[in-house]
Amino acid sequence: MTRAYTVFAGLVLATLAWIHFTGWSPSNVTEDKGVPKSVRDNPGSYRSSYGGARPYTGAK
Amino acid sequence: MAVNPPTPPAVATLTCAGCGAPLSIRAPGRSVVVACGGCGAVLDAQSADHQVIARYEARQTVAPRIPLGTRGTLQGQTWEVIGYLARRSKVSGVTYTWFEHLLHNPTGGFRWLVEYAGHWTLSQTASAVPSAPGGLAALEVEYRGERYRHFQSAKAEVSYVVGEFPSQVRVGEQADVADYVDPPRILSRETSPEASTWSIGEYVDGDTVWKAFRLPGAPPERTGVGAAQPSPYRGHSRTMRLLLAAFVGAAVLIQLVFSVLAQQRLVLDAAWQYHPGVPTTASVESEPFTLTGRPSNLMVEISTTLSQNWVYFTLTLVNEETGAARTFGREVQYYFGRDGDGAWTEGVPWDRAYLPSVPAGRYVLLVEPESPRPVNYRVRLTRDVPRTLWLWLAVGLLVVPPLFFWWRQWRFEQRRWEESDHPMAGSSTSSGASADDDD
Repeated sequence: MTRAYTVFAGLVLATLAWIHFTGWSPSNVTEDKGVPKSVRDNPGSYRSSYGGARPYTGAK
Repeated sequence: MAVNPPTPPAVATLTCAGCGAPLSIRAPGRSVVVACGGCGAVLDAQSADHQVIARYEARQTVAPRIPLGTRGTLQGQTWEVIGYLARRSKVSGVTYTWFEHLLHNPTGGFRWLVEYAGHWTLSQTASAVPSAPGGLAALEVEYRGERYRHFQSAKAEVSYVVGEFPSQVRVGEQADVADYVDPPRILSRETSPEASTWSIGEYVDGDTVWKAFRLPGAPPERTGVGAAQPSPYRGHSRTMRLLLAAFVGAAVLIQLVFSVLAQQRLVLDAAWQYHPGVPTTASVESEPFTLTGRPSNLMVEISTTLSQNWVYFTLTLVNEETGAARTFGREVQYYFGRDGDGAWTEGVPWDRAYLPSVPAGRYVLLVEPESPRPVNYRVRLTRDVPRTLWLWLAVGLLVVPPLFFWWRQWRFEQRRWEESDHPMAGSSTSSGASADDDD
């Protein structure tokens, strides 16, 4: 177990160093433009975050 | 430890006064009784005429796991199996049966080789009386500087007996037994109306027993986790902790090194305005800027004056030297308000993204905004920015194997204590076994 963990950790650390060195990123930088028109025309119909600490209670 | 010569000791033979079957006394002078497995008679082993001193109805004959008279070497000493008995106890309506082989060595004395559900312990009389600071009902006792936790108490009854024994043994004989464990050792107290004795035992692997006595086939399969079975994880727990600390430390070190060495250089800081319907604001181009060093990321930050609005940016990074272009889109939206639930917000008026692995070169940035209303915006590009996100991800991955290891360790102990008087939280009442617990 410890040997397998050492190998695994070595791979994780090597990957971390490689990502830092090359600046690699797995995510796509481009965001979709296709936000539904209803959202733009009706702001607040979908609220991803609230100013207060209230729990999400469903869409408007 | 001295190894006794493999010379068989003298064996006295006699005839069972109950059924006439031939019996042997392998430890003459030491054995007090001889039990006939055929008819259930218990004979006086020390008198000349070997009188029957007890008799029970032998409803069934139990074949010892290790036949009487078998000799083998365990823990450096040669032992001969001279007696065998089965004992049982009833707990919550369930009868548990275990088997005890009495081993004899002319110089080493007696040992008990006990088997329950495929788990074996080699026991001998304790050389000292354990101390129980909290009294005999205490959950811990101390023996030779080691603490033993109470495992189980029960009333045990002899259900079958064959062979010779250094004390009176008969079927139906009852005793209160209490086990305390400190794996791989087990401390047992046996209390009968006549006396109270302590014995100390150590877990023995079934394969070791089979090899020691050169028995055919394989030992009985283990079920569950034995009370004194040593945990295969215990010795590695500290190593796991040290490895985790070392690897997390290495990850932090890598992060620090790249943070110190990273350029983190602002290469572009430009502000523009966008007005719908004004072609000159629909597409703008930055001043040329230079990226140096190895291929690394480019942090793109966009801040806007958005309010109850959205804007979509199409950005193109063009390498003036090679003509290579990288186009990407970012959306910024920001809404806020107040309703019956209180204040709410949606989105933020700024955005941040990282372009991966951008080679060195001379670049310009093309920006094409799109929005229903005018908006002021600012774009900042920073070269080679270390991201702590990767550190957190690495630490998260590094923690997974130790957590799995500790869960297995905990599960092993949970299964051990399932059959005790003190089951751990989350234990089921059944005692099913799985092979992975026995590895």
